[in-house]
Amino acid sequence: MEKTQSRAEVAAGAAVHLTGLRKQYGDVHAVDGVDLTIAPGEIVALLGPNGAGKSTTVDMILGLTTPDQGDVTVFGSSPAKAVAHGAIGAMLQGGSLLDDATVGEMVTMVASLHRKPTPVADALRRAGIEDFADRRPNKLSGGQKQRVRFAVALVSDPDLLVLDEPTAAMDVGTRREFWKSMYQYTASGRTVLFATHYLEEAEEFADRVILMRAGKIVADGSVAEVRALAGGRTIRAVVPGATEPVIAGLPAVTGHEFRDGRVVVSSSDSDVTLRALLTRCPDAHDIEITSIGLEGAFLTLTAEESETVR
Amino acid sequence: MSTTYVRMEIFRTFRNTRFVFFAIAFPVLLFLLQATVFVNADAPDHAKVAAVLMVNMMAFGTISGAMSVGAKLAFERAAGWQRQLRLTPLSGPGYLTGKAISGMLVTLPPLLLVPLVAVVFQGVRIDAGGWLHIVLGIWLGAIPFVLLGLLLGQFGTADSMQPVNMVVTMGMGFLGGLWIPIESMPGWLHTVSQVMPSYWLIQIARPVVTSDLTTGFGTAAGVLAIFGLVFGAAMIRRYRKDSARV
Repeated sequence: MEKTQSRAEVAAGAAVHLTGLRKQYGDVHAVDGVDLTIAPGEIVALLGPNGAGKSTTVDMILGLTTPDQGDVTVFGSSPAKAVAHGAIGAMLQGGSLLDDATVGEMVTMVASLHRKPTPVADALRRAGIEDFADRRPNKLSGGQKQRVRFAVALVSDPDLLVLDEPTAAMDVGTRREFWKSMYQYTASGRTVLFATHYLEEAEEFADRVILMRAGKIVADGSVAEVRALAGGRTIRAVVPGATEPVIAGLPAVTGHEFRDGRVVVSSSDSDVTLRALLTRCPDAHDIEITSIGLEGAFLTLTAEESETVR
Repeated sequence: MSTTYVRMEIFRTFRNTRFVFFAIAFPVLLFLLQATVFVNADAPDHAKVAAVLMVNMMAFGTISGAMSVGAKLAFERAAGWQRQLRLTPLSGPGYLTGKAISGMLVTLPPLLLVPLVAVVFQGVRIDAGGWLHIVLGIWLGAIPFVLLGLLLGQFGTADSMQPVNMVVTMGMGFLGGLWIPIESMPGWLHTVSQVMPSYWLIQIARPVVTSDLTTGFGTAAGVLAIFGLVFGAAMIRRYRKDSARV
């Protein structure tokens, strides 16, 4: 009884609380038993290959998709209630702007639907788009459009921001700008959950990284923890005649990939792996060994059996 | 739902040149053309015939305007704007109601411009009660067409909606007695035309301008009400299915 109560308290205090979340499409288990608690004020990156279940998880948090099993609470209530209270702001994937309305009109309209919106001018300024309030989206660059969608997401003055690949269409400079304005926004204690495929963004901006694979969470922790979890180093080399079984059969290998004619191997003991590699494939050349980054951890944790890691 | 939402919908509609042409300019021009070419200006019954043509073109403009909501719906669905709006307190019914209200309001320009042109240039004269009957009758009669637009908009994509709307509007125009007046129709076409809801929309207003080939206001209103119920029910059903799937 006491335990149930404390669980309920956790759910009530958490920004996002997921228990036993499952969603199936046909035979595919898109989300296959996810438990997750995000505390208010956390900035969390959600990583995983395509089809890992990131977007489905995000959709269930937003209430756009109903789970087959399990519970979602956002600030202690259902997603629908949280949305109705304007507690959630989201940048969804894909183009979702109207070409026959101006930027200012769209943000104003969305603001008018919320009960306690941010002043529209504030939202435009925070997103850095006050200069093109009178323009239509079809006259904007990809990065500028993303910032319009950012303004749409934050005009409700949400406590939780959910961003699905927010910087997908941006160049490096614009991405920096975007994260700078994000940082200013979250300094006031807002919670952010963002899905991304730019690992350096997760490394730089997230307090916490969650890796998903095949509908499950395979790693969850700070960037340093996730990196340590995968351990080891990454070996890159050109290996003529390398085949899948040879590389996978090397000792201490935790993950491998063939990329641009090179072999990329994650290893928990690079000395052992390298010696074996050179014995079996003496022609290997252009060898590089790097300490594993988040990218390596990502590769290791999402490519191999998830059970051992969990 | 907010008035800001409805207002933006209306602004967006009037920015669409296709809408301005087909729902406003086209019915006005077609009326002037038909009234000058088909009827001799000196003929004693000129004003009476012009009034019949006026009703047809009012109905045509209103239908074009009402069905324009479908294209917007299809676009917003495809572009993910609907999903974005689902993250606001705006409910599904609120979203559709806003679209329907804006659809009703954007029918007003053709509904008022065609009679204005008819009075000024073609000498059409009708008493105040008659005008009220015609304008209000056709305007309320637009409800089933707004619902049909919202229904089609949930099936079509942003690209397919233009041809779909075009085919449906032209079908209503040719077969439903708007472009070819029912007076000039061969018997078999007159029979076919009664399948089209547009036929019944002109029958709403026809008793005011002529006593030929009228069905009576009550029958017309009843048939349109049934069309409205069918389109409305199908539209809501489709919306529920669609939003459960996304």
